[in-house]
Amino acid sequence: MDKEQPPGIVLTEAQKKRQRERSIAIALALGVLVVLFFAVTIVKGAGVLVRPM
Amino acid sequence: MSIVENHALALAPRISEASVADYIALLKPRVMSLVIFTALVGLMIAPGHFHPVLAFTSILCIAVGAGASGALNMWYDADIDAVMSRTVNRPIPAGRVTPQEALAFGLTLSFFSVMTLGILVNWLAGGLLAFTIFFYAVIYTMWLKRHTAQNIVIGGAAGALPPVVAWAAATGSLSAEPILLFLIIFFWTPPHFWALALFRTDDYARANVPMLPVVAGADATRLQILLYTVVLVAIAVAPWPLGYFDAVYGLSSLALGGGMLVLAVQVYRNREGAAALRSARQLFGFSILYLFALYAILLLEVVVAAAARLFW
Repeated sequence: MDKEQPPGIVLTEAQKKRQRERSIAIALALGVLVVLFFAVTIVKGAGVLVRPM
Repeated sequence: MSIVENHALALAPRISEASVADYIALLKPRVMSLVIFTALVGLMIAPGHFHPVLAFTSILCIAVGAGASGALNMWYDADIDAVMSRTVNRPIPAGRVTPQEALAFGLTLSFFSVMTLGILVNWLAGGLLAFTIFFYAVIYTMWLKRHTAQNIVIGGAAGALPPVVAWAAATGSLSAEPILLFLIIFFWTPPHFWALALFRTDDYARANVPMLPVVAGADATRLQILLYTVVLVAIAVAPWPLGYFDAVYGLSSLALGGGMLVLAVQVYRNREGAAALRSARQLFGFSILYLFALYAILLLEVVVAAAARLFW
C-alpha cells in the first residue's frame, strides 16, 4: 500500500512559463470584460435595460 | 514497442507551449488594424452623439470579432497555410497551436464579441457582426476560397462590413453613407488581392487555391484589375457629386483614384519579367495607401469640423 505514486504529467519550465502567461492573458481579458460591463451600466443608467433590436 | 504502449503514447495529453503572441497572431493583427481604422471612420462620420464608452465598446467588439474570423480562417486553412511561403510560419502550420485550440479560440471570441456588442450597444450591430464573422469564416473560407476564382470578389463583402457595423452601432440604423463605405472597400478588394496574386501565383497554385491568375492566367487578371479599378475610382468619387461627402473628399478621391488608374494601366501593359512583377507590387502597395487615405480624409474632416465647433 505504501507504493509510491507515479509522478503523472510533469510540465517543463518552458511549459509552466507559457501556461502562466496564457492564464494571465485570460485573467486580463476577463477583467476588461467586467470593467466594460460595469462602465456601460454606469453610462446607460436605467437605460441599460433598453436594448433596441 | 507493444501495441498497448503505442496506444498509451497516442492518448498522452499534448501539453501546449503556445505563447500569448501565438494567440495574438491567430487574430491577424495587421488585418485587424485596418478593420479598426475603417470601423472608426464609420463610427465617427455617423450623425448624432455617441458616448465614448459605447464607441470604445463597439470598436473593441468589432476588432475582436474580426480577430475571431482570422482565427477560424487559420483553423480551416491550416493545410493551405502549410504550403504557402507567406503563411508557413503561422502558429498552426508551425505546430505551436493545434487546430482544435484555434477553433475553440475563434468560436469563443466570436460568441463574446457578438453578445457583448448586442447586449451593450444594440442588436442590429451585434447581428451584423455575427453575419460578418459567418460570411468570412463559412462563406469565404470554407466555400468560396477553394471553389471559385471569384472567391475574393464575393468574399470581399466580409472585409467591407466593419464600417457598416460601426455605423449601425452608433445610430441603430443603416443609410446611404455606410453603404457607400461598404462599396468602396468591396470594389477595392479585387484589384488589391489580384495584384498580390500576380506576384504570388506559384504559392496559390501549389496550395490549389483557384485565384484568378492560377485559373484564368495573368493577362486575364490584368484586364480584370483594370476594369475593377475603373469601377472603384468611379464609386469612390461618386459620394461627392451625390452630396454625401464634400469637395475636399471628392478632389482627394479624384487625385488618389488617378494614381490607382495609372498603376492599374501599368499592370495591364507590363506583362513580362521584372517590370510586370514591379508593377503588380506597386499597385498592391499603393492600393493600401489609397484606401487608408480615402478613409483618413473622411476622419480628418470630422475631427476638423468638431474642432471648429469647439473653438469658434
